[in-house]
Amino acid sequence: MKKPIVVFCGKGGVGKTTLSLAFGLLHARVGKKVVVVTSHPLSELAVTVSLEGLKEADAAAAANLFIIHVDPRQVLARTVKEQVRSSFLAKKVLNSKIYQSLIEVAPGLKELAFLARLQELAEHPSQEDLIFDILIWDAPATGHFLDTLKVTKKFDVYLTGPFAAKGKELTGFFSQRANLSLFPVAILEEMAVQETIELCEKLRYEVDIRPAGLICNLVSPLLSAPEEVVENLSEQFGNAGAGSSDLEFILGRHRIERDRFDELHSSIRTTFHTIQRVRNWKSDLEMLFSLAGCLGKIPLGLTL
Amino acid sequence: MKIRVFLGTGGVGKTSVAAAAALQAALDGDKCLVLTIDPALRLRTALQLKPGKGQQKVPLDSFSTKGELWAAMLDVGATLNRAVQLYSKQEQADVVLKHPIYQLLVASLAGLPELLAIERLDQALKDGFNTIVVDTAPSRHAFEFLDKPEFFVQLVSFPVVQLVGRTYKWWERSPLSKLSRKSLELYSRVESLLGATLVRQILDFYSVFFNIAEGYADRATHSASLLRDPRTTAFCIVTTPLKADRDGEYFLRELKKRRFPVKSLIMNRIWPPLESSLSPDGPPLMQQAVEWYRDVSVAHQRAWEKAQHEFGNRIPKLIRVPELTQDIDGLEALHRITQSIGET
Repeated sequence: MKKPIVVFCGKGGVGKTTLSLAFGLLHARVGKKVVVVTSHPLSELAVTVSLEGLKEADAAAAANLFIIHVDPRQVLARTVKEQVRSSFLAKKVLNSKIYQSLIEVAPGLKELAFLARLQELAEHPSQEDLIFDILIWDAPATGHFLDTLKVTKKFDVYLTGPFAAKGKELTGFFSQRANLSLFPVAILEEMAVQETIELCEKLRYEVDIRPAGLICNLVSPLLSAPEEVVENLSEQFGNAGAGSSDLEFILGRHRIERDRFDELHSSIRTTFHTIQRVRNWKSDLEMLFSLAGCLGKIPLGLTL
Repeated sequence: MKIRVFLGTGGVGKTSVAAAAALQAALDGDKCLVLTIDPALRLRTALQLKPGKGQQKVPLDSFSTKGELWAAMLDVGATLNRAVQLYSKQEQADVVLKHPIYQLLVASLAGLPELLAIERLDQALKDGFNTIVVDTAPSRHAFEFLDKPEFFVQLVSFPVVQLVGRTYKWWERSPLSKLSRKSLELYSRVESLLGATLVRQILDFYSVFFNIAEGYADRATHSASLLRDPRTTAFCIVTTPLKADRDGEYFLRELKKRRFPVKSLIMNRIWPPLESSLSPDGPPLMQQAVEWYRDVSVAHQRAWEKAQHEFGNRIPKLIRVPELTQDIDGLEALHRITQSIGET
């Protein structure tokens, strides 16, 4: 059976990269070969820093987890090299200012190249690529993510030539539900909630994709506490004098969190999952393992 | 004249911090414009902005100041239309507007806002603002906003493109085309690689777009030199406690590489130190919750100390902004951030 690309998407700062890695670790630990695909140099940096010491901590996971940073410029460069037999000429083209400038200002070209590579990994990985069980896409933030998904159609509709043909093929691939398992990630703050609601609407109406579930990340343990217990919280602060501003802060944050959760829940129909913020850790790796543990307890409904 | 550019990854509160800094400038008596090029257009919440209305004056009645605060969202369509109409002849404008690449440009937000941000910066300077606060798009695009204009300038100034641009139609039909082709071997190679139609459509478009493009290239060069001038411009890195070391290093490195002046690192949303604890006979769930809050707060204080240690001697100013317990729903809440930030 064909396996979907697992995608964590959403607003910047909600933890897409961290969740992608934790999800990867969860499966790599038990022997699955996992590939995490990212396209942004900052995520790449974050990933390298976060996975420092993995080999020592968990050799099996380290051997099974692969991070691929896709640079669209390199994908395009590879196309050039494949088509020009002479490496001298290929170099000349690639180093020419006109080529370099053209690929920068051609709108959507880089996004298209990225998707082409992702599809290649999922469908017919080349010999140099590894054989893997799970493919995870650490997606860019909302706006750019949607633009990326829409770009295939644009090439298909407005242009002709080999890239337009590729656009058509990719539109077909990414619109098939079996090919993508999408998990929007939200945190319970005003902007993030608004953006998640908009994202889900646009996914549905602009690219015809429905999420496989929604993840509320970084929630506090109070979110799941019964309301009357929270109301009694003030009574439980022993010395009211020293505690009052602390209490005010906790109750203030809780109110925001609870309201935002209700808003999200009433606007989006899908399966909701919550993940608590890991509260203290000595290293990024420790945090990732503890997050992987949380993810392992959630029924995401994936057949992997 | 002051230009302040706020950079940071998504979700750190860049937009609010930029708006708060703009408010400070206005309270100091400047005529200040805060410009957001973020396609998510989030500034509107704090400033009650409505899309599609251009720049709008924010009423500062509750503050006593002679300064003015204006806010604008980068409206891709409007800025582009204004540029097309200003810099091209009527018949050219028609060709541009009907061209498939134009449709692609307008329809695809990816990339275009970066080109237009520079255009918009230039318009703002012409409109007589003496402080301009730019809230950039989240990281992925932030450097494209700074890089793209320069690629564009390169492309426009490249002789082949100029030649193709000026003579494209004539050259296609002329008997000399074969001869010219020989001298343009490199160009045709690129063409056959990326697909002749795509390259021609792009060049064809930019050839019609040429008058606009040339003027644009001049303005972009001018704007870029303003952005590099430390007397005019300061770049501020906005981050949150747990992202500070990574973000700080990354942005500092990328800005230095591009020779942009870095003035401050703003650590936004630091939780206050939480010291109190529950009476020991409270329910375990509550104990855990309060402990959880305290642990997160401790991690934040540590992050601030670490940032001071890491960046204290590399970035002139480190600023901390506390987490609020309410959404920024108006100027009053915004002013609270302004007070933490001070002058940027």
